[in-house]
Amino acid sequence: MPLTYPIAEQTLDNGLRVVVSSDRAVPIVAVNLWYDVGSRHEPPGLTGFAHLFEHLMFQGSRNVASGQHFSLLETAGASLNASTFFDRTNYFESLPSGGLDLALWLEADRMGYLLDAVNQENLDNQRDVVKEEKRQSYDNRPYGDSYERLVKLTFPADHPYAHMTIGSMADLDAASVEDVHAFFRTYYGPNNAVLTIVGDVAEEDAFDAAKRYFGHLPAVPKPPAAPDGTIGPLTEVRRDDVVSDVPSDLVTMMFRLPVDGTPELDAAGLALDILAAGQSGRLNRRLVRDEQIAQSVSGGALPLIGGVSFGTLTGIASDGVDLQKVEDALLEEIEKLAEHGITGDELATVQAQAERDWLEQLATCAGRADEISHHALLFGDPNRINTRIDQVKAVTVEQVQAAAAQWIRASGRAQVTYRQSETAGEQA
Amino acid sequence: MNQVLTTPPAVGAPRPWKFPQSTTTSTAAGTPVHVFDRPGQYVATVRVTIAMPLIAEPRELEGIATIMSRTLDEGTELRSANDFAAALERHGAAYGVDVSSDALHVEISVPVSHLAPAVQLLAEAVTRPAFNPADVGRHVTIRLGEINQERANAGYRAREAFAANLFDPSTRRSRPTAGTPDTIRPLTNVQVAGFYRDNIGPGRAQILFAGDATGVDVAAIVDEAFGGWTSASGPAVDTPEPLYIPGDRVVLVDRPGSVQSQLLIGCAGPDRRDPAWGAAAVANHVVGGTITSRVDTVLREEKGYTYGTRTSFAAPRKGGTFSLGGAVRTEVTGAAIGDALRILREARDGLTEQEVQEAKDSLIRTAPLRYEQADSVAQQVGSNIANGVPIGFADTYLAQIAATTAAEATDAYRRYVGTDGLLVVVVGEAKDIRPQLTALELGDLIDLS
Repeated sequence: MPLTYPIAEQTLDNGLRVVVSSDRAVPIVAVNLWYDVGSRHEPPGLTGFAHLFEHLMFQGSRNVASGQHFSLLETAGASLNASTFFDRTNYFESLPSGGLDLALWLEADRMGYLLDAVNQENLDNQRDVVKEEKRQSYDNRPYGDSYERLVKLTFPADHPYAHMTIGSMADLDAASVEDVHAFFRTYYGPNNAVLTIVGDVAEEDAFDAAKRYFGHLPAVPKPPAAPDGTIGPLTEVRRDDVVSDVPSDLVTMMFRLPVDGTPELDAAGLALDILAAGQSGRLNRRLVRDEQIAQSVSGGALPLIGGVSFGTLTGIASDGVDLQKVEDALLEEIEKLAEHGITGDELATVQAQAERDWLEQLATCAGRADEISHHALLFGDPNRINTRIDQVKAVTVEQVQAAAAQWIRASGRAQVTYRQSETAGEQA
Repeated sequence: MNQVLTTPPAVGAPRPWKFPQSTTTSTAAGTPVHVFDRPGQYVATVRVTIAMPLIAEPRELEGIATIMSRTLDEGTELRSANDFAAALERHGAAYGVDVSSDALHVEISVPVSHLAPAVQLLAEAVTRPAFNPADVGRHVTIRLGEINQERANAGYRAREAFAANLFDPSTRRSRPTAGTPDTIRPLTNVQVAGFYRDNIGPGRAQILFAGDATGVDVAAIVDEAFGGWTSASGPAVDTPEPLYIPGDRVVLVDRPGSVQSQLLIGCAGPDRRDPAWGAAAVANHVVGGTITSRVDTVLREEKGYTYGTRTSFAAPRKGGTFSLGGAVRTEVTGAAIGDALRILREARDGLTEQEVQEAKDSLIRTAPLRYEQADSVAQQVGSNIANGVPIGFADTYLAQIAATTAAEATDAYRRYVGTDGLLVVVVGEAKDIRPQLTALELGDLIDLS
């Protein structure tokens, strides 16, 4: 049965798509903007730019001083942030509903007039901050570069998903203020974004406010589409074996998966869940509980819109256990699923888990706003938030096996292993 | 045509807000049940909070409370570990445990449509665990592996060294909640079952529900599952006041290969018994609670030393801490610590009226956001119970904040931060950091590897 969150949609004359979902039960409102620019849009030499803007967008704009975006919203009681991903960037805040106009004014000022405030000084400063972010999130933690290594193996070098959103520090170092301005002028305009407003506001008032603050902004020329990333399953095994000072040996695998928005991707995602999700997943039962060769297992699908998605499976070896055993067991379970399929009970379990996850995601105005922007921007249909669970529940055991047999195979995978120096020494 | 607005539009007054109210009943076994009806919250949280002060652990078996908690669902009198997980997950439920200084929390989140069978399973784990030798042994092994992961994690290493050097060794909190290899390795299932028997029972528990209770008799469902709970456990012992080690000093933890230095700087702080708890939160917000506060304005926005730092006052039932945490570039570690200490100490000279007003507005107005989701209500109330304050303490806290003047915020801060010295913990490449530290004259330097 579909959910019943109300959805109303209008497109302003400048091309800004506005979606409103009114909910008067709470005293707050969520504002969420998805820009159709992510790391997949970045041309060679400009990697990390979409993410760099996630920082620059908080450094002020024509009518907003540096730091004022945060201070004005925080004082109004907002929780705010931004995030960058392969497919898009988003900017969002939730706050008591009396602050809606302030939030929209701030978002509009930086959409229209950010470049008045982007200069050498704050570019240099935020570049330093991004470098610290990379050190903190990737370089200074064990296995921190595993995703970067996996996407490099999984996709051809020029593929839109072959580099991470954080980008190359060399590209960022080489960036001039003019490069940064040009990137903004290309992608950041009302006709390349979705604005979602959820919460304590009447529909018509929300649309009026959106027009009041965004209506005068000019459209940008139609931005270049991201390169087409359509590509089939991997047909070989690509390895990267790392020896480093890690706390335990680890193996992680990546598979190409079908593009998001298809029953095939939902089926492939459920297949990975049956292997790796929760305590009752096949891998946890076998590797962690029964054979005790792994300390932990994890995995899942990462849905993407650009022609292909990917999914991962990861196992951390128990102390004293040869990592090869973990790898062998993972591959055995992968092949078993592809060849022999799954039970109705397994499917019902991962569907029930997906339903809870989805309901939790929609349980806050901010979460709902994010999913509305997501489905409006990438699929052109915000109403999908109400039917998403039904789509997942419609997947059959046959579809799960078929997707797994095509996409999740031992013979078509990228694999990164990390071994402690001493173990590797013994093997050499 | 619209005129472009060049100044921020006015913000309308927020609608009045109070922490959600509960209806309280009791199970047949005498356990209080608090039901927070949150219309529209289709995923409910059911949380069992049980008083379990960690000082009940024998010194040589520290971590036994954690292993006991983690094995509650690993096989019950009725089901194997695998069967229990399969049954729970088949209902769309997620299960979790959390052990703090004062309490054990066991909780499920589940779509309300599956509430009754999931609560039955929750009760089975809490009231009828099996503690089979194989399951306990497996969790001992997993905990030992987890300790290896923790030792590789800079943030964890900093927290561990901070606790070990801020608290006197006689205080339980000077050592890791989940135990160390020498205290975990000898644990047997008989000891774990014994610890359960002595410490877990209906008289020490409170049960919380938060979610959409429309048309659901939550109290009856909980009573059906937990009403028959019997136990021989006595009342929880009272945790003594913690003992702090005063003075300025630096602890340098060598983590070869680090490309950043993890910092944790701090001292003793208040707990929720202190009427200035709210004023301390206001001061914290000004000094280091957000990206716009004094510390990050310099360390991140002016100097680009860090992706971000934060300060906080945190407290279990008795005795709190103040700390500033974050990671900075190795080659500017000394400079960053120097700036951070200067800002922390200068804040003792006074917080401005404007800073304090903005902090109060932010803390008060974000409250409805913090408790929008059912789970966050259950988390907050569980934490209040664990900390020995009334379940509606969130309202008291907000009232304290609303009444705080700039002078009171400054006073709450001055009572703690910098009064008895500051402990500086640095985790990173020691050979590169040490020369930067000695130049700062921070007090005694303790080297750890």
